[in-house]
Amino acid sequence: MVCAVSEQDGLRDLGAACRERWPQRVHAAYEAARRTWRLECRADALVDLASWLVAERGVSFAGLVVEEAPAEWVLRYLFYGDRDTGWVEIVARCRKPARAMPSISARVHAADWHEREAEDLFGLVFEGHPRLGDFVLHNDVWPEDVGVMRADYDPAVRRPRPEPDPAWQPVRLVEAPGAFWMPVGPIYSGVTESALFLLETVGEDVIRAFPRLFYKYRGIEKIAERRSVDQVLLLAERCAATSAFAHSLAFCQAVEAIAGVEVPARARALRIVLAELERLRHHVGAIEEICESTALAVAASQASILEEDLLRLSGSLTGHRYLFGLNVPGGLTHDLAQGAVRAAADGAAAVVPALRRLREMLGVSSSFVDRLEGIGTISRADALAHGLVGPVARASGVRRDLRVAQPYSGYESLDVLVPAEEDGDGYARLRVLFAEAEESARILAQQAAALPAGPVRAPAFPVAAGAALGWAEAPRGAAFHWVRIGADGLVARYRLVTPSFTNWHGFHLAAENFAFQDFPIILASFGLSAGEGDR
Amino acid sequence: MLPQALLVAFFLACAAGMVLAAVLPDRRAPAAIAWVGAEAAAAALASGGGVLATGHVVQARLWSLAPAGTLVLALDRFSAVFVVVTACVYLAVSLFSAGYLPRYLGHYSLRSFGIAYHALFASVVLVLMAADALSFLLAWEAMAVLSYLLVNYEHEREETVHAGYLMLAMGEAGTLAAALAFLLLAVPAGGLAFASMRGAAAGLGAGARWAVFLLSFFGFGVKAGLVPTSTWLPRAHPAAPGNVSALLSGVILNLGMYGIMRVNLDLLPVASVGPGILALIVGTLSALVGILYATTQTDTKTMLAHSSIENMGIVAAALGAGLVFAASGRPVLAGIADVVALYHLGNHALYKALLFLGAGSVDLAAGERDMDRLGGLIRRMPWTALWFLVGSLSIAAMPPTNGFASEWLLLQTLLRSVELSAVSIRIVFALCGAALALTAALAVTCFVRAFAMSFLGIPRSSASRQATEVPRSMTAAMGLLAAGCLAAGVAATGIIPVLDGAVAPLVHARAAGALVPPFFAPGAGGLPPAFVAEFRDLGAEVGKGIVPGPGLVVLHRGGARNPVVFAMSTAYTLAMLLLLLGAAAGAVAIATRARAVTRRRCWDGGLPRLLPAMTYTATGFSNPVRVIFGAVFHPSAPEDTVEVVAGHFRTAVRRSRPEVHVVDRAVFDPATRAAWRVARALAGMHHGRINAYAAYVLATLLAFLVAGRLL
Amino acid sequence: MRGWVPAGLRTGVRTTRYPDAEETAPGVSPGLPRGGRAADGAGGALADRCPTGAIVTEDHGIAVDYRRCVHCFRCARGVPAPPDWQPGYEWAASVRGDAAQPLGPAFARSLRILVVDAGDCGACLREVKQLSGPYYNMHRLGFFVTPTPRSADILVVVGPVTAHMRSPLVQAYEAMPAPKRVVAVGACALSGGVFGPSFASAGGVAGVIPVDVMVPGNPPPPLAILHGLLVVTGRRPSAALRSPAAAPPPAPRAEGAP
Repeated sequence: MVCAVSEQDGLRDLGAACRERWPQRVHAAYEAARRTWRLECRADALVDLASWLVAERGVSFAGLVVEEAPAEWVLRYLFYGDRDTGWVEIVARCRKPARAMPSISARVHAADWHEREAEDLFGLVFEGHPRLGDFVLHNDVWPEDVGVMRADYDPAVRRPRPEPDPAWQPVRLVEAPGAFWMPVGPIYSGVTESALFLLETVGEDVIRAFPRLFYKYRGIEKIAERRSVDQVLLLAERCAATSAFAHSLAFCQAVEAIAGVEVPARARALRIVLAELERLRHHVGAIEEICESTALAVAASQASILEEDLLRLSGSLTGHRYLFGLNVPGGLTHDLAQGAVRAAADGAAAVVPALRRLREMLGVSSSFVDRLEGIGTISRADALAHGLVGPVARASGVRRDLRVAQPYSGYESLDVLVPAEEDGDGYARLRVLFAEAEESARILAQQAAALPAGPVRAPAFPVAAGAALGWAEAPRGAAFHWVRIGADGLVARYRLVTPSFTNWHGFHLAAENFAFQDFPIILASFGLSAGEGDR
Repeated sequence: MLPQALLVAFFLACAAGMVLAAVLPDRRAPAAIAWVGAEAAAAALASGGGVLATGHVVQARLWSLAPAGTLVLALDRFSAVFVVVTACVYLAVSLFSAGYLPRYLGHYSLRSFGIAYHALFASVVLVLMAADALSFLLAWEAMAVLSYLLVNYEHEREETVHAGYLMLAMGEAGTLAAALAFLLLAVPAGGLAFASMRGAAAGLGAGARWAVFLLSFFGFGVKAGLVPTSTWLPRAHPAAPGNVSALLSGVILNLGMYGIMRVNLDLLPVASVGPGILALIVGTLSALVGILYATTQTDTKTMLAHSSIENMGIVAAALGAGLVFAASGRPVLAGIADVVALYHLGNHALYKALLFLGAGSVDLAAGERDMDRLGGLIRRMPWTALWFLVGSLSIAAMPPTNGFASEWLLLQTLLRSVELSAVSIRIVFALCGAALALTAALAVTCFVRAFAMSFLGIPRSSASRQATEVPRSMTAAMGLLAAGCLAAGVAATGIIPVLDGAVAPLVHARAAGALVPPFFAPGAGGLPPAFVAEFRDLGAEVGKGIVPGPGLVVLHRGGARNPVVFAMSTAYTLAMLLLLLGAAAGAVAIATRARAVTRRRCWDGGLPRLLPAMTYTATGFSNPVRVIFGAVFHPSAPEDTVEVVAGHFRTAVRRSRPEVHVVDRAVFDPATRAAWRVARALAGMHHGRINAYAAYVLATLLAFLVAGRLL
Repeated sequence: MRGWVPAGLRTGVRTTRYPDAEETAPGVSPGLPRGGRAADGAGGALADRCPTGAIVTEDHGIAVDYRRCVHCFRCARGVPAPPDWQPGYEWAASVRGDAAQPLGPAFARSLRILVVDAGDCGACLREVKQLSGPYYNMHRLGFFVTPTPRSADILVVVGPVTAHMRSPLVQAYEAMPAPKRVVAVGACALSGGVFGPSFASAGGVAGVIPVDVMVPGNPPPPLAILHGLLVVTGRRPSAALRSPAAAPPPAPRAEGAP
């Protein structure tokens, strides 16, 4: 974790510092069990406080959670520090019927899309935000002012239009004689997720490209409301199937935190095994996509073989190729036989030499490297400002990894190596993927060799009311699942911050001034999932 | 003498047109201009055609001016070619004007337009008929001033005035150079009559010959729009009214070529290869630079103007090749090259006038000339679209149009340089041939783009969406020119002998025998019987009954071993084209007869609607050309200005490409800078001390005295 | 590109022999529960545990609706009497009846597939993608992915059809020339899966465009999708979408111990 916070001695003095700077306006309280500072903040101090935390205290923006209470809106801005400092939660309130809050995105730019989403889905207004509207709910499909996340939203009354509004126009940024949009999507080449990319161009060179996402908006956060924990777990698994285990893990950890349940040691260790197996498989798939985007068919086939090997390995180890149906609050649904885990570890270990060979051959294929080098570059400053996560951030020199920064499920006792590169281009991202895949295989083998004995599931426990954050380092980066369970034992609010959502926000940085034929490569080297971002 | 009477009728019609224009109210003027202009054009056409057919030179002696000799007018076959071309263009433009001119009612005076329009016609014919330097220059000046007045017609717009001044200034500089050339010729001849100049030409030294060539080539080259003096052309054309642009490209540019040819073919035939090589290179450069800029311009008329530079370059290249062949003792090849030059000149006049009229129609209907903002007009203006397509096909040299016939002949003629002995000349020919081939390819790109971006796709502006078809007189005028383009291509074998007749007296050889042999006549024009039989086996004779003419195949005869070097037939191409297209259409109709056709909207990836702004623009289409030829266009990289608010939100990205025309960059800007430097240096002398000025006067006087003594 | 060709050759042939022979490698399919007799009360308990209502009780047993099964294993793990579990993968079923015949022999060796993601979680799409990989290599059977509906014969749809993807999906379907077939892949595309019909999704493809073949699974393994493509061309028999309590389901080749 690259945080300049250590000299501040963590956030220990945070309460005093806040009292001193914003007397009467910020009330700080520390919750030791969750290592979280809760800062109750008046709206007029919000922007200063948030930007001070990020700039001076080195914490990173994790997400914005909006809750609707009968009389007020509660906005929680979540920040995470590193392993010594813990978490910060700014709580700001907005009494109804007012619905305007100051925007922090100018100073904490990572909050940009969170504010846009809250504006679009709750109808809140963030004053000072230059671009609101037409975001999650497409204006050509949904009538204006439909806050689908509001408690009073009635899906029977406010429906999407059966035919999209032909008057819709995207926002035009490029002003150049003869400039035009090259639309790519929402349905485009081959087997791809649905998203629209508007390439603003004057011919062959594209000046900038902007993604229009949320074609796959399934309203997971909304449909999770008033469902049982068990049912929301299904949704958590399926928000992004290629990271299903990480997301279900983050969700289960949130529920476990609310209930205060201790997960058995064997379950914690097995969770690491499975999470790393998933990461390995995902990264091999991402490498395959990159090879395919450069039309290097043999390399793509080699990676594809490895991916299917790992899928089969997952299938025979757990019964499901994408590791569905394993996580459950309190542990795992069933134990995995020691021999099967060993075999899986061996199978994963066998992938490593093949990956190394692939990396070496790719490294000397100049026609391949040429197409990745200097493509889709993101500077470290941009990556930090946009709060990017995962391999994308690490390729730009931001060594952010929740397994190290906020370890969970036993990662605290492991020595996780977080590879990073400085170049920030497509090739750097590929190198990070290779290095992480190898590291995952190493952790997997290490865990599989030393699995503790014992149960894999905590004794049955009642679902308690309360709220908590669960997190995990998904293959694409930090995933945050914030869950509130109501007194009736049903989920009252489920906030899902996915790494793809975070990183799509920075995608346009990499898609500026490039040649048209490089677009698929930039896209593949980001390795993002539209479904994971759209939710 | 019928042609003579017709000529008198022509001048009377022009005079009548001027009088009518002065007398009639403005709202009646368009119709009057159309009728009288068309009648004058018909008279000129008939008279020029008569001269071409009979070969009689129409001559008239005007007044005798004491020191300068008699003013003589003469219409020989060579001039008649130009008169016919001019008359064709004027005929169509006059018709077109009936529908086009009413747009100026109430804004600009149609009276002055009418007077200048007819006077220009008369002055052009006078230029072509002038048989002595004085009447030539007088008519030339009249033509220059009148064309300036017409270009400057929309004088309330600032850029029009600028363009007009530039045209006038550069034109006058050229006229001065041309006058000097005439003076150089007149000194040994002892008079201004062309006839005496011809007689005295042999006595000129090499230096004087070079001087005459350079002065006439670059002096008249200004009017023809050859680089580097083409700067005025892409500015004047868009500034002029639509119908005047057509005249400018279809008539006035030709006069520049006429001047060059008259001096260097007729009055003082070039004797060394040097001038020809220079003309070839300048022509090729003009062609390449012209088409490169044409391909990247988005204003329809600017694009067409650059394309005129290209076509004049092609004519100059053909002429240059002719000069080289003539100087190398290959009169038949020289004749072929000169025929090609004339042929292409006439073709260009036809299709460029057509395209300018098309651009004028679009401008009138949509009020927009920027191709980036046009599109989809084929549904709104089907006739204009059809005629513009014919013009585009012609200028892109697609068989069987006239552009194909002349450009194909040009490239084949350049390949004949293998018959020359000097290797260096052959290399120059090869390089120029390659560059001209590239030019031809770029011309296809340019006009695919011009047609597609204006007429196909989705309208990119409300102007384009709401355009309506122009009046019938305008579409008829374009249709006339389009028919001319097709006819001049298909009837190549008929036109070539006529042009040969005009050129033959100048090169002293007949090219028609080699170019258009009487293929089906007994003896087949001396071609080996085996070869003729081979062609007959291919079915060449089938067309004999259908297409009349001296022969259907244009050929050039090589040596005994290889009797025919190249052959083509636009007439057969047309026949085959019609046959195949008809068969294909029939086959498709039969094959899909039983099929139910379901029409769905164009697949756009599932967008709510494919916006006009999501389709290729003209700029986008030609961007690869701009990138590939980056060195020609802009050595500086594009400048992006990114606007950001609140730290990271991009609100606008502005891209500008400061561009200076390559000729301005390479020639005029350095020249201007040098002139400024000299002026600044000289300004140091103006320090206001009276004794210094007295010294300057004294020094100048001394210098003159010394110089007078020495010379 | 020296080195790549030998590397490819060294890898050897990995391609499955399906449909000529059964694929028996472990981990190619998660399997499906099978309907059948159940002890008193056990059937009801299973039906209660099923989060998507795929299991229903039926005269002294349970029946399984494969359109709804999402492989959650709630019925298989931690219960005293789990249902029979069938491992196979030939699950695809033709659902149009006589309305649409399988595409004829003219399409046997060259069939173009347009894949439309109408809101899937990424798994179905990833499994469709595996079909082009060396292990499944659908090209050998004449199936090719095309990027445009204009040249597509088969529309493969994954996902529950979100509100935003509804119009693009309809447009793609309408842009396809006849004859055309639609293959809905995955529980979400068949019934909405865990997302169900909701304010943001249509709950399946059949409510938006006519579906010819349904491929159950969450996600269906590549072989099941391949089976779906073979069913649509009439080269493999269709399976049943419902496993009733009474009779064993027709399983042409995928029998074996559960």
